[in-house]
Amino acid sequence: MLSGRTTQRHGTDGHSRRTVLRVGALVTLAGTGTALTGCDLFDGQPAPDPAPDPLAPLLSGALDLADRYAAAVAAAPELAGRLDPIAEAHRAHAAELARVIGTTPSGRPSGSPSGPPAGTPAQLLADLRTAEQQGRDAAVRACTEAPTERAALLGSIAAARATHLEALR
Amino acid sequence: MSEELAAALRAEYAAIWAYGPIGVRLRGAAVDAARQAEAAHRSRRDALVLQLAAGGGTVPTGQAGYALPFPVTDQASALRLAVEIEERTGAYWRAALPVTTGAERSRVLAALTDCAVRATRWRRTAGMTPVTVAFPGRPG
Repeated sequence: MLSGRTTQRHGTDGHSRRTVLRVGALVTLAGTGTALTGCDLFDGQPAPDPAPDPLAPLLSGALDLADRYAAAVAAAPELAGRLDPIAEAHRAHAAELARVIGTTPSGRPSGSPSGPPAGTPAQLLADLRTAEQQGRDAAVRACTEAPTERAALLGSIAAARATHLEALR
Repeated sequence: MSEELAAALRAEYAAIWAYGPIGVRLRGAAVDAARQAEAAHRSRRDALVLQLAAGGGTVPTGQAGYALPFPVTDQASALRLAVEIEERTGAYWRAALPVTTGAERSRVLAALTDCAVRATRWRRTAGMTPVTVAFPGRPG
């Protein structure tokens, strides 16, 4: 009985393997001809990642802005009193955006600036104004296009960035 | 008619009224700033009255007077009230964001933003730091 079962199992396994091989050959053939059909049915790839959240760029943008302010303070410590609260606000925005997206704000944008920026305090402030204005425009767009449950948070972020521009004047 | 927009209109009536006692306690450039702030609130009020009337229903009206949250006796207390008025009014506009879409939401956001920027200017005039808050209009 025991050996019989073993034989049967071998037989089943062998059949499965052959089936897999045949399917594999079919996929290969289909792949060379009509790629789309082959992929849809048999390619066995993991499901593609879900589309990124539309707020993902705003999240990375908030972290990038926080970094820019921190770098400006590192280059011109006398600006700390003005800039530190704004950097803190951007980090708070990132934390809230991460919460509604359902991720963690730890990911760093690949293009974030490295090393302290050069320039006089006036130039540093001018560069921050440019970045903040772009961030404000992005937040306004995001608020206008957002579903109901995200509109208030994005409105506060857009308004905060407008006040940052005022504080940089 | 949206209850949130009606509440924003009532907040605008109160803000316009409050700039009366605020203005008489200010000096110098702050007087002009208060006049401009009051004019901006009147513009928002007028636009809201038209919008709500076009939507049908009863449009809220302003009161003859309002209770101040604290006595306004000098420039410092006047500036403190100006900050508070802008913060409170902004909160009503923020609450109207979720009940609006498209161009209407853009106007509501512009109103919230104007309140937040004026609050920042008043904090600077008053010497308050920091001059910004992280989430303008958010309760608590």
